Amino acid sequence: MIDDAQLQQLLSRVALHDRAALRSLYDATAGRLLAIVQRMLDDRAAAEDVIQDTFITVWSRAAQFPQLRTSPLAWLTTIARHRAIDLMRRRRPETSLTWHDADGHEHQHDIVDEAATPLDQLQRRQVDGQLSLCVGQLDDAPRQALLLAYYEGLTHEQLAARLKRPLGTVKTWVRRSLQQLKACLEDV
Amino acid sequence: MTSAHRPSAELIDRLAADYVLGTMKGGARRRFEGALQTELRLAQAVMQWQQRLLPLHAGAQPLPAGDALWARIEQQAFGAPKAAPRPRGLRWWQRLLAPLPAGALALGVLLGSVAPPLWQQLAGGSVDAQLPESYVGVLATAGGKPGLIVSSLRRGRVVDFKRLVPVAVPTGQTLFLWSLDAQGVAQPIAALPGGGAGNFFSLRLSQPAETLFQRAVELAVSIEPAGAAPAQPGNVFVYRGLCGKLWPMPMPMPASAPGH
Repeated sequence: MIDDAQLQQLLSRVALHDRAALRSLYDATAGRLLAIVQRMLDDRAAAEDVIQDTFITVWSRAAQFPQLRTSPLAWLTTIARHRAIDLMRRRRPETSLTWHDADGHEHQHDIVDEAATPLDQLQRRQVDGQLSLCVGQLDDAPRQALLLAYYEGLTHEQLAARLKRPLGTVKTWVRRSLQQLKACLEDV
Repeated sequence: MTSAHRPSAELIDRLAADYVLGTMKGGARRRFEGALQTELRLAQAVMQWQQRLLPLHAGAQPLPAGDALWARIEQQAFGAPKAAPRPRGLRWWQRLLAPLPAGALALGVLLGSVAPPLWQQLAGGSVDAQLPESYVGVLATAGGKPGLIVSSLRRGRVVDFKRLVPVAVPTGQTLFLWSLDAQGVAQPIAALPGGGAGNFFSLRLSQPAETLFQRAVELAVSIEPAGAAPAQPGNVFVYRGLCGKLWPMPMPMPASAPGH
């Protein structure tokens, strides 16, 4: 497994348009990024499109963000997540949760299992121990809002609609949850 | 985001968190990314939030991302199929140059601040002396940072070096100076004295600098076996940058402008 220092060096070279470095960066990180995006989109072809877009972005813009290159995998993950989120947001209004077959029977698309608590979902995702602990300390509803935002790329407005709560309430939940997470992680 | 309206630390932290979490909408995100390029505090806050939330994806097992996907990236990024031939004669050279930092950037950024002190030094410390005709290079490291300042008088036989960032040189190896012409062809200059140890050192040239550097567009340093006389670089460059030719040119005097 390539370490952060090696990834930093590769990104520095990519910022200078070193083609071999981009290939090395791809070999070192694409599999992990693909897994993250695939989990968000549940669509392999779309996930590959996102990864392609991610590396094109890195190739064209790495020189513009020297500070962010100091945490390479986190930066690449943010780029990939944002691309996936953009795709989900474009798709979402076009996707009906129900459809009818030729016989007129109603069917429902498979949607997120909201019966499971956010903490259950988090634990299923095998999240890092300390962060999982801190997330577990959040109240249920704010925690659900935070995780829906992170894993499904919902905007505040979409969170409000999904959770059937006022926009202001949802914004406060997310903001306070992030503050609590930050404080909890800093206490470690 | 001007200095007259500097955002509070709390606002920066909140925006960075929204950006990393993903709740920021597309337009706001693009504006935020514009500010990220110039606002160090924003970038630091984003980096911290990225690191905090990255473990949320820690359990994701990597999926195979094969050559087909890479081929698409390569096609889009480089604009040419993988098998496209490279310009004849440049293949080995591109390989050597590829990992190197953009010397042009380092020189462009730093020349203005570095050259005047160098000139003053070369002129014997007299701030009134005319600047001598000189070669100056600010060579960057592989990490893109200014790493080595190289200077000589135009017709001198001594090259002075000031090392800003050291490079580890294995036992039995030495730092070796190269000049690169416009076609990227490397010409060996010489091994650096003492293997390049120390922060300030000088190299005596076998010929006047102008003879050796006349066609130089860039200067570069690689690590080579000690005692060898390589005709071509055997390793990637550890420093590289533009070779500036600083001839003090008389500026045309503007027409007399009363009142100025």
